[in-house]
Amino acid sequence: MGQLSLKNVVKTFGQFEVVKGVSLDVAEGEFVVFVGPSGCGKSTLLRMIAGLEHTSSGDIVIDGKRVNDLPPVKRGIAMVFQSYALYPHMSVFENIAFPLRVERAPEAVIREKVTAAARILHLDQRLQQKPGQLSGGQRQRVAIGRAIVREPGIFLFDEPLSNLDAALRSDMRIELTRLHKQLGATMIYVTHDQIEAMTMADRIVVLNAGYIAQVGAPLELYHKPQNTFVAGFIGNPRMNFLPVTCTAATDAGAAIDWQGKAVTIPVDAPPDAVGKTLSLGIRPEHLLLTGGEMTLTVTPSVVEHLGQQTIAWASQGEGAAPFCTVLPGDQHVVADRPVTIGFNAADCHLFDENGQALERRFTPGSAAG
Amino acid sequence: MALFHDRNTPMIDRYRWWEVIAIYAGIFVFLFFLLAPFIEGFLVSLKPLAELFSTPYSFWPENGSFTAYVTMWERVPGFAWYVFNSFLISTVSTLIVLLLVVPAAYAFARFDFRGMGLVLGGFLAVSMFSGAVLLIPLFRLMRSLGMLNTYWAMIIPGAAFLIPSAIWLLRTYMMRIPNELNEAAWTDGASQFYTFRRVVLPIASPGIIVVAIVTFIGAYSQQFIFALTFNSKTEYMPLPIGLYAFFGKQDVVWNELMAAAFVGIAPAMVIIFFLQRYLVGGLTAGAVK
Ligand SMILES: Nc1ncnc2c1ncn2[C@@H]1O[C@H](COP(=O)(O)OP(=O)(O)OP(=O)(O)O)[C@@H](O)[C@H]1O
Ligand SMILES: [Mg+2]
Repeated sequence: MGQLSLKNVVKTFGQFEVVKGVSLDVAEGEFVVFVGPSGCGKSTLLRMIAGLEHTSSGDIVIDGKRVNDLPPVKRGIAMVFQSYALYPHMSVFENIAFPLRVERAPEAVIREKVTAAARILHLDQRLQQKPGQLSGGQRQRVAIGRAIVREPGIFLFDEPLSNLDAALRSDMRIELTRLHKQLGATMIYVTHDQIEAMTMADRIVVLNAGYIAQVGAPLELYHKPQNTFVAGFIGNPRMNFLPVTCTAATDAGAAIDWQGKAVTIPVDAPPDAVGKTLSLGIRPEHLLLTGGEMTLTVTPSVVEHLGQQTIAWASQGEGAAPFCTVLPGDQHVVADRPVTIGFNAADCHLFDENGQALERRFTPGSAAG
Repeated sequence: MALFHDRNTPMIDRYRWWEVIAIYAGIFVFLFFLLAPFIEGFLVSLKPLAELFSTPYSFWPENGSFTAYVTMWERVPGFAWYVFNSFLISTVSTLIVLLLVVPAAYAFARFDFRGMGLVLGGFLAVSMFSGAVLLIPLFRLMRSLGMLNTYWAMIIPGAAFLIPSAIWLLRTYMMRIPNELNEAAWTDGASQFYTFRRVVLPIASPGIIVVAIVTFIGAYSQQFIFALTFNSKTEYMPLPIGLYAFFGKQDVVWNELMAAAFVGIAPAMVIIFFLQRYLVGGLTAGAVK
C-alpha cells in the first residue's frame, strides 16, 4: 500500500503547458518533498496525483494500478490542503469523522478512530469546538486528522505549514516527522520552505518550470547539485557563481583561472572543457576569513550580524546576484571596507556553459565544512 | 469631553460631545421620516372616528382606546380568513421559491456552463418588469391553465417574479463559500449531492434565510395585484383586498382600517422575527486560512 509511479505526466491548461513530462517512482513509506519556485507546477502535480485535476497525458500508477480515471477515494490517497479546508459549521469531531460518515462507518468505529486520531494529534481537549475557535496550528492538525482516519496509503500535503508562524512551523515539522514514522505511510509534501524540505524528506524532488531538475536525498542535492538551478535553489543564502576559464583537464580535476589566479578543482573534467568559460560555484558558508587555497577581495555593502553568524553582501555589478559570505559567529566585518576571504578547492562546484555540473569527487559526510 | 464612553472604549469609537449630539440628531430625523406614517397610522387606530374629522386636528388621541381593535372583527367578520389567506399565499410562494432557488443558485455559483451569463442576464432583465406590466398575458396563461380563481393564481405568478432576484442574491452568497471545501469533501469520497446537503447548505443557511425573508415580504406585498386580476372568489382573497371591506358606502372607517392593517401584518412580523434569529454571522470562520 502506497507505491506511486508517475510516467511522463503532462498537464496543460488550454495552450499553456504547466507540467511538462514528469517521471518519478516513489517507494512505499517514503517521504518525498516537492520543492521549486512559485508557479513551477508543484500544486498542479500534487492535484493530479490526488485526482482533483485531470491528467493531460502520461500515467499515474498507484500500487501497480493505473488510476488516471479514478476519483480520489478510489486511489487510496488523502489530501491536506494549504488552506485547511475545514467544514466551519461542524465540530472538530465531526470534521475528522467526515470521511467515515461518507462511507457510512458504524458509530462505534467512528468514535474509536476519531479518538485515536485526536490522541495522536493532541486534539483530545478540542473535539467539541468549532474550527473558528482554534488556532492556526490546531486547525492544521484537524485537517491532518481528517486525512489520518481514512488510513490512506499515500498522504498528499500542499504547503500545510505555510500559514503558520515560525515557532509553530518548527513544532509541526517535528510532529509531522513523528507522524510519518508512526503511520509508516507514503507522504508527498509540497513546500517552498527549504528547512522543511531538508529536514523532513527522504528524497527531494526539485521542480523547475514543469520539469524535474533533480531528484535526490537532501544532502546529495546539497553536495552534488546536477545543475546551476538546483545549486542555486538548495542552500540558503544561495550559492555564489563566478565566471572562470578552464585551462587544463587533468586526473586531479579541472584547472581553472579566475582573474589571474589558478587553482585545480577536484571534479571529473572532460578534455573538451579546456579553454571554455565555466561557472565556479561556492556556497556562502564555505567562505573563510583566514586561509583558503584561493583568495578574493570583496567589499560588502551590507553586513548582517546575527550573532550566530555574520552575513556580508557584496554587489557584483548591475543585474548580477550579490556575492554572499556567511561567516560563523560574530566577525568584525565592516560595510564598505574591503575584506579578503578565501575558500578551498574541495568545496567548489563547477558547471559547464549549459549549467550542467561536472561530477564532484566528493563523498557526502566526509567534508570538514 | 467624555460623554458616552468610558476608559475601556476603543479610541476609534470615541466621539466629542457635539459629534454625539449630531449623530443622535441625525438618527432621530431619519427614523422620524421613516416611521412617521406608521406612528400616525397607529395613533389613528386609537382615536374614535369622530375625533378624526375634528378641526383643529389633534395629533395625539384625546380619549384614545383600543376599541377599534375589537370592533373591526365585527364589521368585517371574514377578516381573520383574509389574513390567513395572505399568510398562506406568502408562505407557499416562499417555499416554492426556496425549493427552486437554492439548487439553482448553487449551480450558478459553482459550475461553469455554456449560456450561463445569458441566463443570468435574462433573470436580471425579467426582474426589472413588475408583475403589473405582464398582467394581461398572465391572465390568458392562467385562464388556459385553468388556474383562475384558485390559490395558485396568486401563488405561482408571485413566486415566478421573485425567483430571479432571489437567485442573484443567493448566488452571490454561495460564491463566497471556498471551493476547497468542495474539493476536500470530494477527496474524502463525498458525492456532489452529499457535499451540497452536508457542507454547502449549512454554510449557506444565513443567505437562505435572508432570501426567505426578502421573498416572504415580496410575496406579502405584491399578492394583491394578482388577487385583484386573477381571483374573484371572496374566500381566497388576501389581506389587502380584505382591507377594502372597511371602505363603507359613504365613509371609510379609518380607525378600524388602521387597526386591521396593523393586525394584518402582525403574522408576517412574527415570521420575520423568528427567521432573523437564525441569521448568525461568521459561519465560515475557520474554514480556510
Ligand atoms: N486552473 C488553472 N488554469 C490555468 N492555469 C493554471 C491553473 N492552475 C494553475 N495554473 C498555472 O499553472 C502554473 C503552476 O501552478 P501551481 O499552482 O501548480 O504552482 P505552484 O508550484 O504550486 O506555485 P506556488 O508555490 O505559488 O503554490 C501557474 O503558472 C499557474 O498560473
Ligand atoms: Mg501551490
